Amino acid sequence: MRRYVPVAVLVFAVYIVFSGSVSPYDLVIGALLAVGVSLAASRYLVRDPSKACSIGRFARLVWYALYYLTVAEFRAHRKVIGIILSRDMPVRPAIVRVPYRARGEYTVVASANSITNTPGTVVVDIDTDKSLFYVHWIYAEGLDPETAYENILKDFETRLSRVFE
Amino acid sequence: MRRHIVLVSIVLSVSALAYATTYLGALGPLGFDTRLLAKLFLVYAYNPGAPELTVMSPEAVTSIVWDFRGVDTLYETVVFYMAIVAALAIYRGIGYSSSGVRGAGLSLIVRVVTKILIPMNVAIAVSIAAHGHLTPGGGFQAGAALAVVSVLLAVVFSALSFGKLGVSLARAVALRSAGLLTIAAVVLAPVAFGVATGIRGFLMQNYVKLDSPLAFPTHVSGQLISGTLIWLNLAEFFAVSFGFFVIFMLLSLREDVVREQLGEEHEH
Repeated sequence: MRRYVPVAVLVFAVYIVFSGSVSPYDLVIGALLAVGVSLAASRYLVRDPSKACSIGRFARLVWYALYYLTVAEFRAHRKVIGIILSRDMPVRPAIVRVPYRARGEYTVVASANSITNTPGTVVVDIDTDKSLFYVHWIYAEGLDPETAYENILKDFETRLSRVFE
Repeated sequence: MRRHIVLVSIVLSVSALAYATTYLGALGPLGFDTRLLAKLFLVYAYNPGAPELTVMSPEAVTSIVWDFRGVDTLYETVVFYMAIVAALAIYRGIGYSSSGVRGAGLSLIVRVVTKILIPMNVAIAVSIAAHGHLTPGGGFQAGAALAVVSVLLAVVFSALSFGKLGVSLARAVALRSAGLLTIAAVVLAPVAFGVATGIRGFLMQNYVKLDSPLAFPTHVSGQLISGTLIWLNLAEFFAVSFGFFVIFMLLSLREDVVREQLGEEHEH
């Protein structure tokens, strides 16, 4: 039963927000749709219902989103703006191997997207067999995987592990 | 020094353009005069005061598409139906073969993001269909939005994912046909009702006419459903989305499989 809650809530919320209406008509259609889609899709999206319905994990996800959109983005932007505004273009571009520790696919994908969405770093490929991201780094502090991990991934992965792992 | 020149010239030109467009009317006069034709549609789309002329839908485009020129839309739907019949005829007897391929799809990142997006895509498509008589959108637009799911499945998870998810050509054709049959039922209902009761009824009749009192219900417990429009939109949603499913499933067939099976047919 609890397995179906997260997808149902997601679908209902998207339906209501996109419709821009909370009339009885939309509440009924949204609820029916949420139940139907959740019954069909939950087995592909929810592996562990106790994690998916955890309020604590959801709170940590919201906290991560706030942290990411303010602090992490600000730091990354400050670096790249510094590069853009300086006259001698201090770039040291490289594609580096970044090993990830996380096992859950949501942690891995959220980490990869966090890296890509901050300016200066882009995940260009992923090797799930070797647990590696290949990351294009505009100013590579070092080429060895551990330096890259410490600088690019560690912060995101640690925080996201508390949400998804 | 040169930087300053660049900066000053950018500021000056942007300011000049902003001033010209805002105060000097550089874009020409705005079209405030609504043409008579547009006025007629706007006045009659939703007008309980003129029941024999109105569609009872505040969405003027849907009013035009499914009522004022409803038969035209009906024929467009038939043309689309025939195009899919032709595609099915060309690909007849050709099935999915999973032999020798793994169907890996794209990377883990794309797959996980896509599997979260698909339920949201369905919610948005249904919203567009269910509000077709109230806001811009409608059955065709909603069907196109839902059909994106079939492209995502084929590209992101590989064409073999259709079989794993229980999406088959036969089911898509059946759902599309259900949509088309519903459209036919709504179109014919006033005529059938008229024949049964001796009251005059017209094909695709939505609301009362000068010489016919028949009307589909326009409200259900206070919610405007605009007579036939909601049913036609929902049925068109099914017909179009699963029609596109059929097309995209056929297009995602492996070329070597199709060639092999077509080749066999030519030899016989």
